[in-house]
Amino acid sequence: MDYPDDLSFLFTSPTRIVFGRGSSSDTGVELQGLGCRKALIVTDRFLHEKTDIVARVEKSLGSACAGIFCDVPPDSGVHVINAGADFGRERGADAIVSVGGGSVMDTGKGIALLLREGGSLLDYQGFQVLTRRQTPHICVPTTAGTGSEVTYFAVIKDHEKKRKLIFGDHHIIPDIAILDPALTVALPPILTAATGMDAFSHGLEALSSAQREPISDALGLHAVRLISRALPIAVSNGNDLAARGQMLIAATLAGAAFSNAQVGLIHAIAHVIGARHGVHHGTANSIAMPHVMRFNNDTVAGRYRLVAEAMGVDLRGCSDEAAGLQAAAAVRDFGCRVGLPSSFREVGVPEDDLAACAEAAMSDGAIVYNARPITDPADVLTVMKAAWAGIE
Amino acid sequence: MGLAFPSHEWIKAYKDAINNNPEYRTGSADWTYGVVALIIKAQLPGLPQDTGIWLDLERGVCRDAKLVTAEEAMKAPFCITGEYARWKQVLKKELEPIKGMMQGKLRLKGDLPTIVRQVKAAEELVNSAGTIDTRFFDE
Repeated sequence: MDYPDDLSFLFTSPTRIVFGRGSSSDTGVELQGLGCRKALIVTDRFLHEKTDIVARVEKSLGSACAGIFCDVPPDSGVHVINAGADFGRERGADAIVSVGGGSVMDTGKGIALLLREGGSLLDYQGFQVLTRRQTPHICVPTTAGTGSEVTYFAVIKDHEKKRKLIFGDHHIIPDIAILDPALTVALPPILTAATGMDAFSHGLEALSSAQREPISDALGLHAVRLISRALPIAVSNGNDLAARGQMLIAATLAGAAFSNAQVGLIHAIAHVIGARHGVHHGTANSIAMPHVMRFNNDTVAGRYRLVAEAMGVDLRGCSDEAAGLQAAAAVRDFGCRVGLPSSFREVGVPEDDLAACAEAAMSDGAIVYNARPITDPADVLTVMKAAWAGIE
Repeated sequence: MGLAFPSHEWIKAYKDAINNNPEYRTGSADWTYGVVALIIKAQLPGLPQDTGIWLDLERGVCRDAKLVTAEEAMKAPFCITGEYARWKQVLKKELEPIKGMMQGKLRLKGDLPTIVRQVKAAEELVNSAGTIDTRFFDE
């Protein structure tokens, strides 16, 4: 491992993790442990109306359920959070329970912030602007990907300007994550694959970021290892609770890893492609990953070697450079194996927008931490063109 | 004997250093986003209250630099806050300001994407400060 002699880092991961089949029935007990009396459930309409997942959590909360805010769309916006906070305030909520995927959990973080601080979410743009813990927040993820249940980020779309706003603050890290594999069995294969590759990309980018450090390395590497084994099983047999459970654990590990070591160009590209063209974040990450790995290989080939080893690639006789390229090929094949597209062309990104996307990616916070320093949007455009065509 | 940080004298020297730095002039030629304020949290003995440094930056030029109250500094479109020890690390080039923000060592109020595009300019602001013979009150 290539740690410098003057290694220096901060690592923060305060979330209590509750794991197990049926553990969502502990939500009420965990809420009591936080000293709270009334929790607002934040979720989306599909989960509320088409599944029994929200009802299970509501039952666990019993009379401590202050109400259900189910208006969270796939790419949540500032107006949604403002509305959710108004609703929570009306109902006297003193805690948030987010039940859903990344968009729901990030919305929950925003509502938790506004219930404590007041005002509008846009008043808190920036990084680490808060000075105190926010409204207690329990996350019950129903996808295994975003890792938002343990991260200090909330990604909220500015629908007007077609861009994603990134809020980062240690005071919005959720207090408790309840990982119940039974809640993810209904996730369709394509979403299982896309969210799983999102988690994979968190582990990979944390391992290779400019701010990598040993603790996040351990978490990210084990996440890659678990996902390599469990994701194909979870995609082919959604009812396999063991695979679902390993995916939930992997997503949480990878979330803690990147919440500390950060992510890089893969995410900078995916944020822009998602905001401008509506491509699912995990799918965009999956497409961008091998191309960014080739771009970064000169700088962090040894790191990508670790990824390939964790994926079970036979690297005997390979130099680090060759191993890094093999890792990129393995990641590309892995994405295809779980059924995801391998080019931005396939998902409808217009070629004539790539230059604007590359320019926009230069303003994404993730780019600061890319393994290979980037100062020229032409470099990003080269990567994006390759990802658009799907060429190696 | 160096100039005390922060002080009116230090800030005057800082303005001159920024304007005499050709790398800053080039690296921030597209900065049109207004004032950047730095808030140094109070630390006793030496700095009894939170103190702000107001930097009026425009297209590679520092038009004005002055010592202000923290309340005044908070009115700037971009406001970066940190403990005295953190600013010392920045001035000694032991902490890159943009990475420091994301690690929670410094706090940014303002639009992150705008700041992210200014990595080179931020580096040169630090380099400019590095040319000043600085005296820290706790050393």
